[in-house]
Amino acid sequence: MSRALLRRAALLVWTFLVFTFIFAPIISTIVFSFNADRFPSLPWGGFSLQWYEAVFADASVQRGLVNSLIVAGATSVIATFLGFAAAYVDYRYRFFGKAAYTAIVALPPTVPVVILGVAMLTFEGRIGLSGTLTGVTVGHVVLAAPFAMALVRMRLADLDPDIERAAWNLGATPWSTITGVVIPFCLPAILASIFLTAAVSFDEFMIAWFVSGVNETLPVRVLAMLQGQVSPRINAIGALVFAVSMTLVVAAQILLGRNGRRSKETQP
Amino acid sequence: MSDARSTQTLPSASPVTSSARATRLRFAAFWGLPPLVWQLAFFVVPLGFLVAMTFWSVKSFRLTPDATLANWTFILNAGFFRNAYVYTFWLAGLTALLASLIAFPAAYTLAFRLQPATRRFLVFMLVVPFFTSYPVRIYSTQIFFSPQGIINAALHPLGLGPISVLNSPTGTVIGYLVLTLPLVVLLQTFALMNVPKTLIEAAHNLGCGRLRTILTVIVPSARIGLVVAATFAFVLAFGDYVAPLYLGGSKPPTLSILIADQVKSGNHWPRASVVAVIMILTLVAVMSTMLALAYGRRGAKP
Amino acid sequence: MTTTKAGPMLEIDRVAKRYGGTLAVAEVSFTIGKGEFIALMGPSGCGKTTTLRMIAGLDTPSEGEIRLWGRRINEDAPWERDAPLVWQNYALFPFLSVVKNVEFGLKQRRVPAAERRKKAMEWMERLGIAGFAERGVDQLSGGQRQRVALARALALEPEMLLLDEPLSALDPHLRVRMQSELVRLHRELGITFVCVTHSHSEAFAMADRVVIMSEGRVQQIGAPREIYRRASNRFVAEFVGGNNLFSGTASSAGNGALRVEGPFGAALAPRPSEPAIHDGAAVTLVVAADRIDIASARSGIGNEIDARVVTLEVVGSSATVFLETAGGVDLRVQRSLHEIENTPLNPGQAVIARWSQDEGYFLPA
Repeated sequence: MSRALLRRAALLVWTFLVFTFIFAPIISTIVFSFNADRFPSLPWGGFSLQWYEAVFADASVQRGLVNSLIVAGATSVIATFLGFAAAYVDYRYRFFGKAAYTAIVALPPTVPVVILGVAMLTFEGRIGLSGTLTGVTVGHVVLAAPFAMALVRMRLADLDPDIERAAWNLGATPWSTITGVVIPFCLPAILASIFLTAAVSFDEFMIAWFVSGVNETLPVRVLAMLQGQVSPRINAIGALVFAVSMTLVVAAQILLGRNGRRSKETQP
Repeated sequence: MSDARSTQTLPSASPVTSSARATRLRFAAFWGLPPLVWQLAFFVVPLGFLVAMTFWSVKSFRLTPDATLANWTFILNAGFFRNAYVYTFWLAGLTALLASLIAFPAAYTLAFRLQPATRRFLVFMLVVPFFTSYPVRIYSTQIFFSPQGIINAALHPLGLGPISVLNSPTGTVIGYLVLTLPLVVLLQTFALMNVPKTLIEAAHNLGCGRLRTILTVIVPSARIGLVVAATFAFVLAFGDYVAPLYLGGSKPPTLSILIADQVKSGNHWPRASVVAVIMILTLVAVMSTMLALAYGRRGAKP
Repeated sequence: MTTTKAGPMLEIDRVAKRYGGTLAVAEVSFTIGKGEFIALMGPSGCGKTTTLRMIAGLDTPSEGEIRLWGRRINEDAPWERDAPLVWQNYALFPFLSVVKNVEFGLKQRRVPAAERRKKAMEWMERLGIAGFAERGVDQLSGGQRQRVALARALALEPEMLLLDEPLSALDPHLRVRMQSELVRLHRELGITFVCVTHSHSEAFAMADRVVIMSEGRVQQIGAPREIYRRASNRFVAEFVGGNNLFSGTASSAGNGALRVEGPFGAALAPRPSEPAIHDGAAVTLVVAADRIDIASARSGIGNEIDARVVTLEVVGSSATVFLETAGGVDLRVQRSLHEIENTPLNPGQAVIARWSQDEGYFLPA
């Protein structure tokens, strides 16, 4: 074998190993969620849906799922509105302190979630929000709005500023320009952002862990179960969460992909 | 001039308020204020509150507003804190380095050796882990490395093992890699894709070997992206709570475990806040140092 | 609101525009009458587009006043004005079909759906794009987009249409067609057209009056002929093209004439009433290239300069002859091909450049 081929093979094997390391935990979660054996090991103990049955029969998991869905739904709508607003302001205006404005909106994801969680807990405890789903939603919006802002801002980068001015010039007020021009243009990014922020919220466990109190969300329930003994039910929940999140992310990806193609076609 | 035109200037207040100006102001406020107010109220204020609380005291199990430095002196002098700080910083730094080194050949392969379609697919795949419950992934990893787990089962016939990494710093670092590796590969791939192909071809044309091209052309050109990737790895690992708890067995504890313990059971929030504030300051210092490193020497000889 | 529609329609009165520290428009004043076709012309960065945008309300003057039928409109929002703009890059709404683009302005004016569709179709018919009504704008060619942009603006039936470099994005063949179409539309509609362009040939071919701008100031305003025959300063004389500028020293020649002598040779020209030119003053004499004749021998009539042919450039049926005088000064002559077909014009050939005394005029110092 020539050295070039050897080098190429080595690179491919290394890449394969890296991807294996990244995806093995995900794949095993899904595979072992159908395993009949209690302890997940090879060889496989046979196909079974018992862990899913157990999960669906568990009232605390059910409550957690419902709570998670409520929080994710509310988060996605609020975070997308705030993210759209911030992205539009960044696109449209220049003003003193704009860098600080964008930083305040965009920074939360760089702060460790442990710290965000503690800060939320202490603050929300004072204003009576801790232990409520509203409190969890508030924290999730803080964390998710920057992602919405990024998605919409990327889309707006493709909107010629003259398009908005052309609408004004034809008699559209800023309000009807937003509803008639900017929002239709950004629609794919807005929908993508709704899915993506829902997924962010649906997977978030640290802020929720601190703030949710008795109103556990699903990831918080998982965290609690992890502290107990080995249980394939965790795999079943993990697989379910994975299915929900991936549906949301794939939907977002498809919308953004169409988004990208459309904007390419509109290039003169 | 064209730059000044590309964005409208926010209308400034003026004694002459025509209806058009009022419309413009209302409009700007409608979009500009909600994100600002929300993030101020629920991000900046809570963090500010956290800082303020570091000066409060706990009297007979009750939080009392105060202006004491007692929490700071206690934490800064506490041996357990110093140990945890050094330990967390060292593990996060090690993770950043390991993740960067492990990811680089893979990112290089993705950026330069694969078909665009394959690359697009794998890049999308790298996004998947971000939306897969991280605690569940850590749980799976825990099972893999458990004494009766797959790893040991596979090692046994080879006459190796059993290896025991759980409840040790090694376990923590493995968990950190589960967390950071997808992002590092992703960011490195983007960084490498932005290296101009002509630059690489020119290097080859001038008789620069593959390895030397990587070291003298590709790495310096992609430096900013590589440093950013490593910085993100550090930031994520430094703040992570799950891996050190479930894979490291919280022995010794990291800073996030200290915080969570103090808040969830220890009930000493002001001290937890001190730890949190020190973590934030550390992250700000690390990020600015790394970014200065990435951007500062631009234009210097590679 | 009732306004008396007397006097000039639009007055630009000592208008200036600053962006931060840079002065885009220094001080500009001119008026536009109802139904006029005005061209704002000048090199890029001269402030012509900024002036147009201030008329549309997209920029607010830093100083001065813009009045429409005598009423100050500086602070009127763009959506409150009736001055649709045809954008240089068309600025069509990418997510709307062609007909929805044309309807957009009518929709903002709350015209009922059926009526606005009818109106939009009429204008698209008129501009020859009715066949593309349901297409997306990204499926159209540049020329078709241009027509959509025009239809979109004209569907509002405004009293004034603004055009920003309407022809610059078209290929040369389409440009000529569109140019005559714009002139025809202007004549048929009888509304005011304000058109920004950097090309003097476009401006002169289309406009009733041309406002020439440079560095944020108006250099000259007038009908194309007027500007072409009497540039009011060096900038205009050079920008308009086709002019020969000779520098020299003036001396009195009697009979209301001045004699100019310089490296180009010597020539006579009428003494201007304003400004007064003293003997010995340094002056610049302008002679339009198409007013100079080429001959093989002196005739003793008018101004005659000895020169040598450098080269000959033929475009269509007209020719530009580049000459060099004995003193080394460049001189250009524009003639139609048939006027020079009997004159040998090989490079190096000695010829006489001749023009009537009345054709020369002086630039103010």
